[in-house]
Amino acid sequence: MRVDVNNVDKRFGKLHAVKDLSFSIEPGRVTGFLGPNGSGKSTTMRLMLGLDNGAGSTLFDGKPLVSHKPVTRVVGAHLDAKFFHPKRPARAHLRMLGTEAGISNKRVDEVLELVGLTGVARKRPGGFSLGMGQRLGLAGAILADPQVLMLDEPANGLDPQSIQWLRDFLRNYAAQGRSVFVSSHLLSEMQLLADDLVVIARGALIADETMSEFLARATNNTVLVRSPDVVRLASVLASQGIEATIAGEGSITVANVTPDFVGEVAFQAGVQLSELVGQKASLEDVFLELTESGQDYQVGGAIPAADTTDSQANS
Amino acid sequence: MIAALKYEWRRLWSIRATYVVSIAYLGLVGLMAGLPIFYANPGYAISWKALYGTPAFILCAVVISVIAAQTFGHEYRYGLIRLTLSEFPNRSTVILAKSIVLTVYVLGMTVLAWAVLGLIGALAPDGTVTAGGMNTSPNGAQVSALWVVPAFTIGYCILAMSVTMITRNLPLGITVPLLLAAFVEVLLSGLLTLVSSHLSWITNNLPMTNAMAWIDGQGSHHGVVFGCWVLGMFAIGSALFIKRDA
Repeated sequence: MRVDVNNVDKRFGKLHAVKDLSFSIEPGRVTGFLGPNGSGKSTTMRLMLGLDNGAGSTLFDGKPLVSHKPVTRVVGAHLDAKFFHPKRPARAHLRMLGTEAGISNKRVDEVLELVGLTGVARKRPGGFSLGMGQRLGLAGAILADPQVLMLDEPANGLDPQSIQWLRDFLRNYAAQGRSVFVSSHLLSEMQLLADDLVVIARGALIADETMSEFLARATNNTVLVRSPDVVRLASVLASQGIEATIAGEGSITVANVTPDFVGEVAFQAGVQLSELVGQKASLEDVFLELTESGQDYQVGGAIPAADTTDSQANS
Repeated sequence: MIAALKYEWRRLWSIRATYVVSIAYLGLVGLMAGLPIFYANPGYAISWKALYGTPAFILCAVVISVIAAQTFGHEYRYGLIRLTLSEFPNRSTVILAKSIVLTVYVLGMTVLAWAVLGLIGALAPDGTVTAGGMNTSPNGAQVSALWVVPAFTIGYCILAMSVTMITRNLPLGITVPLLLAAFVEVLLSGLLTLVSSHLSWITNNLPMTNAMAWIDGQGSHHGVVFGCWVLGMFAIGSALFIKRDA
């Protein structure tokens, strides 16, 4: 099911939290939703679900969510790992959530098993860890087997095995022709998971494109070359107007060229190569590059050294 | 709508608090009626109508209003409102479903309370509960008609639910109606009487003052004033629930 977000906009008093956002989520693909802290990701998700009132519209297969019945067959959302009554047992929580779509107890048990919570199905979730809370939230979202999954930071608090499981699950979910929209701060994980990316900063859209298109924006793709005659190779490259930087003993890095190109130049110059590695910018590199100026809550720079003067004086 | 009603019913009965409050309510009603009957002075006798009027007491209403306050209070306290509205995006449906389920719950509890009171009446010493007994309930009220008992309790619970919708705060939903009845209105009435007799119209139109007068059989117009307050608060709460972010 295709989701079209059209001119979604939200203000909290003077704060313009979401600025006229428009993008689409395609079926059969995992769409990652990225942005620095406070950039408006969660607000956008709430607006899409009609939980917050704002301008613009979100259409699910051309219709607003409220026009679909049952809604839980259309979209399953997991917005927070702590959205449960601490004393309502996990199974009862899911039974309640399954009411609208007429979910059977068998399906509830299936989903509990899928997320690995069968052993605590009748336990109260008040004592659950963050990871278990995430699993319960995910179970609620997938309970009615919806066409669209919307997950806000679902990997927070999960252990590495669970993150891998979640990645496989979401990719498999999308492979069945359904849409997955997921926000995460784990950029390396997102790089492995997402097909498409929507990136926002300070509530405004920065990118809405495929992962490969987004990564191609990188300005720091380099090639690492190791050679016994690295000085001659550097001068040959320089004669072609390409600058090389010393990367270490017997190695240089060359920016904005492909490994094939460097290999060809070396071959024609008769320079022996020991190693030739293309170093592509990661999602993290590109993301940081693009959102650097769009961060509302930046960290405070270098950590100051502890002042031990007093303690030394006292001792 | 049916799905929303089922959802709310499951929400209500899937937490232990509902059972605890329900048992506490029935226990309180039983205790209030049973103590004077079983430990009465010789010659104590009340009518069946007075016995069945026992639940129309502010303390009983306060206990059952915990459920009313939880109707929206738990949703906001634990963030469940976002799950509920993800499932039922039409907010009017959610309000209606919660109101209907709360009303059915209160009616059911009133029937159960009457069953408890009927049992107490049946087990009471001979001559304690009789047609010719006094018409004053153990809570001191003279209920004009038995329908007033559930009507008052439902009104009080809708008021508590509305306060919770407005404030998004569970404890306020429980305490505000109680404080109005036991403290604020009493103080306000006293002050207004001291200030000027021309301000008596305010005193005459206070919600809980009228509710108490209605229960006490002083006329159904008091019930109308109380009902208007309940509907007004419900309308404000509903409008805010629909307008505000979840």
